[in-house]
Amino acid sequence: MESVQYATKTDLVSGNAIAELRGVTKRYGSVLAASDLDLAIEPGEFLSFLGPSGCGKTTALRMLAGFETPTEGQVLLDGEVVNDVDAHHRPVNMVFQQYALFPHMTVAQNIGYGLRQIRPRIPKEQINERVGKALATVRLAGFEDRRIWEMSGGQQQRVALARAIVNEPKLLLLDEPMAALDRKLRKEMQIELQDLQRELGITFVLVTHDQEEALSMSDRICIMRDGRIVQIGSPQELYDTPKSRYVADFVGTSNFFDGKVVGYQGDLVSVRLSDGTVVEARSLHQVADGQDACVSVRPEQMRLSREEGGLPVHVHNRIFLGEHTEYLVTHAILGEFLVLSPRQTEMNDGPFNAGESLTVSWDAGTALVLEQE
Amino acid sequence: MRIYAISVYLFLYIPIGVIALFSFNAGRHASQLQGLSTKWYGKALSNPFVMDALETSLIVAFTSALLASVFGTMAAVALQGIKGPVRVFFDLLIYVAVMIPGIVIGIATLIGLVTLFDQLNPLLAAVWPEGWTPPKLRMGVGSLIAAHTMFLMALVIIIVRARLSGMDRALIEASADLYASPVGTFFQVTLPMIFPAILAGFLLSFTFSFDDFIIAFFVAGSETTLPIYVFSSIRRGVTPEINAIGTMVLAVSLVLLVTAQLLLQRGGKKPK
Repeated sequence: MESVQYATKTDLVSGNAIAELRGVTKRYGSVLAASDLDLAIEPGEFLSFLGPSGCGKTTALRMLAGFETPTEGQVLLDGEVVNDVDAHHRPVNMVFQQYALFPHMTVAQNIGYGLRQIRPRIPKEQINERVGKALATVRLAGFEDRRIWEMSGGQQQRVALARAIVNEPKLLLLDEPMAALDRKLRKEMQIELQDLQRELGITFVLVTHDQEEALSMSDRICIMRDGRIVQIGSPQELYDTPKSRYVADFVGTSNFFDGKVVGYQGDLVSVRLSDGTVVEARSLHQVADGQDACVSVRPEQMRLSREEGGLPVHVHNRIFLGEHTEYLVTHAILGEFLVLSPRQTEMNDGPFNAGESLTVSWDAGTALVLEQE
Repeated sequence: MRIYAISVYLFLYIPIGVIALFSFNAGRHASQLQGLSTKWYGKALSNPFVMDALETSLIVAFTSALLASVFGTMAAVALQGIKGPVRVFFDLLIYVAVMIPGIVIGIATLIGLVTLFDQLNPLLAAVWPEGWTPPKLRMGVGSLIAAHTMFLMALVIIIVRARLSGMDRALIEASADLYASPVGTFFQVTLPMIFPAILAGFLLSFTFSFDDFIIAFFVAGSETTLPIYVFSSIRRGVTPEINAIGTMVLAVSLVLLVTAQLLLQRGGKKPK
């Protein structure tokens, strides 16, 4: 008991994180939903939990909101342990996946709901004013007296957003907020959400399984798998220096080659691929001779050429994408992989045709040796 | 196939139609139509025995429907939070209470209450202060209301629970997320959303209680409800007056049932 209080005190002094998970584990019976999560959320940042369904991202969000209590570990808000604080006492608001708007209330009543619960009561005029301001922020001014079912999906989402931000929460939690929107609307909302976050300065925590969504909006992404955090970093860090094959595959696309380490010099590692070719790649971690290794090369780092020198392949398929052309090429032993050829190469060398025999090469510095899982 | 269906419906509804028709009979026989008139309605409504029975029926129906709605809703909300074998057990009991024949409820309540009163009355007499007449518990309006509330509660639970389980869990969480206490959430979100179901439960309960003869016959004691009055009048010969009463009860019941059905449909509709 005493140690818990002690921990709380030190947090108040040292921590400047707005929210924190410390060794948080959540079990449902024998099912492990979240395992030993450690994460500090900085004030004002836009953080995303990214992962496939069932990876524990929603559980993490629900523990921040107060809908779930961790089995082990601590959840902190503003430096205080809030494990035993009920959801309705937490200065945190959530935008639900299906919005969860109250169907028996008007738009204004929905948005003012949180303000009406506060004691001592906020004067009615003040509530109306703040509701009006929130509606203007989400560009729905004048929709106060509409009924929820009269609103389109996109409008409902804005109402849900307004209902959360009107309370000026310390943390705004978004649970797959775009899942119910069509593609075009989703793009629009992504930009709007980012603008809103900068404008309000509220810390946003987003849960999504859509890597594009996470990459385009977040300051930092927390990639999860099987209840664990796999890697945390900015979108660029995750793209350029993924720690594992899982991350490299989840953030963008990449080509993977399995092989064995045959030597290293500094952070440059030589790997013998299964066809006998030795390639060089950068490694961000310690490797030993003879160890299994996975080399990852992004499609845009690969060069196609009609000249010798490189892996011999032939073109399987060609898709013109405007600025880039995407080639699916086949190697006799290593199998199929993707190459993105820039417009410039296409202009100089002319388009490569399906069935044509070519070579593929890349700079040693752009290939990465990843941790085997 | 169609001819069978039509026959079945005719078989079911012709007697009711005949009763309604004969209630407008100008003559004094229930089996011989002699011109149309509404005089039997006037006669029924000015009959003091009918009006007494109607008053008892209305008091019993209203009170037991109200009690059943309140307790039934409370039980439905509480059961929502229970899972596992306890829940299964309660569900079973609730369905049994609805399915069980009225005659069993009637006999069981009669025996149960009579036994209880026999035990309690001497006790009450013993503890009552000297000089005051001790109250005597007996069958009557109270036992009628109790018996009706018991089985109507199960009906309300089933109706309200259907609405509750159709309700989005996220709404409750959203309310908690927006700082509302559990009590605040119940009154601001849950109750308004299940209210149509509660009202429908109330109207159905009212109708069931108002129309009930079997249970009332056992537990009414010396009281007379409208169905009991009709039953005892028939033994003295069927007059169009009985038909008039029956038609009025039918009309009121139909209106209440249709209203309840509309409420359930409208309340259950998901706003899109």
